Amino acid sequence: MVSGVEPKPKLAIFDFTDCEGCEVALVSLREKLLDLAGEIEIVNWRLAQRRADEGPYDVVLIEGTPITQEEIDTLKFLREQTKILVGLGSCATLAGIPGIIDKESRGFWYKKIYGEKYKPRGIDALPLTAYVKVNYLIHGCPVEKKEVVRVMEELLAGKAPKPRGYSVCFECKLAGNPCRLLAKKICLGPITQGGCGAICISGGSPCYGCFGLRDSAQIDNLLHTLYKFSDSPEVEQYFSMFLKKTPEYARLFKRPRVKNGKT
Amino acid sequence: MPRVISKNHIPNLLIHLKKSHDVFAPMEKEGEVVFGNVEDPTKVLLNYKTTLLPPKIYFLPPEEELFKVTNGRVQEEQLNNKFVVFGLSRKDLEAIVYLDQIMNKKPADTFYLNRRRAVTLIGVSEEEVGVPPGGDLILEKISDRYYRTLALTKKGKKIADLEFFEEKEINHKAKSHEATSKLDQILLDSELIARAIEWSRENYRQIWEHLGRVCLGCGICTYVCPLCYCTSTEDKTSFDQTVCSRCRKWDACTLPGFAKIAGGHNFRPTQAARYFNWFYHKFVRAYKEFGRAQCVACHRCQRYCPAGIDIEKVLEEIINAFQKAEPERKF
Repeated sequence: MVSGVEPKPKLAIFDFTDCEGCEVALVSLREKLLDLAGEIEIVNWRLAQRRADEGPYDVVLIEGTPITQEEIDTLKFLREQTKILVGLGSCATLAGIPGIIDKESRGFWYKKIYGEKYKPRGIDALPLTAYVKVNYLIHGCPVEKKEVVRVMEELLAGKAPKPRGYSVCFECKLAGNPCRLLAKKICLGPITQGGCGAICISGGSPCYGCFGLRDSAQIDNLLHTLYKFSDSPEVEQYFSMFLKKTPEYARLFKRPRVKNGKT
Repeated sequence: MPRVISKNHIPNLLIHLKKSHDVFAPMEKEGEVVFGNVEDPTKVLLNYKTTLLPPKIYFLPPEEELFKVTNGRVQEEQLNNKFVVFGLSRKDLEAIVYLDQIMNKKPADTFYLNRRRAVTLIGVSEEEVGVPPGGDLILEKISDRYYRTLALTKKGKKIADLEFFEEKEINHKAKSHEATSKLDQILLDSELIARAIEWSRENYRQIWEHLGRVCLGCGICTYVCPLCYCTSTEDKTSFDQTVCSRCRKWDACTLPGFAKIAGGHNFRPTQAARYFNWFYHKFVRAYKEFGRAQCVACHRCQRYCPAGIDIEKVLEEIINAFQKAEPERKF
């Protein structure tokens, strides 16, 4: 993928169900985005430009996650159209916020909001990996700009970007934050991949794990610590924010995992 | 007559040093004490227990660019300024002296040593210093108002010669050294610790298995340790491929990637094995290599472990079990 006399790699950015905040994070890369645009050709990006070329592409970034059959079909089509598919943000990588709600409670709210006659189309949100092979995941709600830059730099250099091997605790300690766990407050920092800069904890919020589980995350050990000052329903609430569609959540909180929303 | 500085003059000294140096010192942040760039010298703490991160952050930064290759030309990162780290505790000074020894061992870590050469270390002790552990200058509190100077190097002497200091006979003495902790006492016999840990690997495995179920694998114990120095290397390439930089970042042997090699094999696949390694390096390998444990009993890892692991208790338990199991040995 080294540029030169060769044509520039073609990048396309698409989105499914989400808040578009990760694309806003891309836009706010500002000068860095311009630098990037000098080395690649952004050929399709609904949110930021008119140009909307059809595939094939070299790299496709996908924000959000499908919640209708139509969106699933589009995702599968895009997979065929690109060499590298990257999930952008926790909705794409983990099912994120759309993943919190399940079929049962969705049915309840449909009735309450749209009335008895409404014909539901939505299905349970799952991460992109439930449908297609994804080459790399850029976690985060929203994504951290530095991580986006790192992944793009590595892809352009022909490297395979690797997930961060350390926990949020690294950057949290560097930020000089008092440890939430020592203050007997729930925090998923130790089992969560770093790279976020511990922004939530620095701002007074807990870590809900939006950067995904770190490799070999010691979840049971963390629960052992958490249960010293909290109980299972409370802990489950924290895990359900971003990690609800992970196999680990299913194992810990004994909920059957819904596949493709077709149950 | 001893050369002393009045407590009221310490902020003036810091203001003076700030004219020509970056000055870093312990300050309060949301209930924690952290080292930071001194903006308001009156905020600098002289009497505190321990900082969150140790002063190694200034010689072995958590993330650092070592060199750049620009169009085939290698360019090492240059240090811009001489700097001062003020308010170091005895334990931190002791750890720096040991870390110097480790980093000076061939092949020496030149990046670390460059930073060490650029710094002036000023210790502050609220109690009797005894044998000065290291640093350039130590201010030892001898009365409510005065600190006595102990200049250990030319750099330190130069500072002690500044007009903020005066020759004065003080009739008070420094507060005698606070009772040492259990960990301090355990550390007096590095050989015993080394033997006990080595023995525990096969003969007292239950403790490591237990700790493997407690340790969160967050890496905090190594980040806060003034003597943990393991790093990993990362190369960055700019978008246009013209600049490549080699960076290093703190790593932790309690993290899963630390002993992972090409092909995905992991020499320490369990948290128990990884946690054991932390002890093994500190107390066994360090003893074999440098003759003493790599711990100065600063108590940070005990205080900041989110799972509440207390190395003092772990060491005590292992040593007791070892001595019980091998009573015929003379220690």
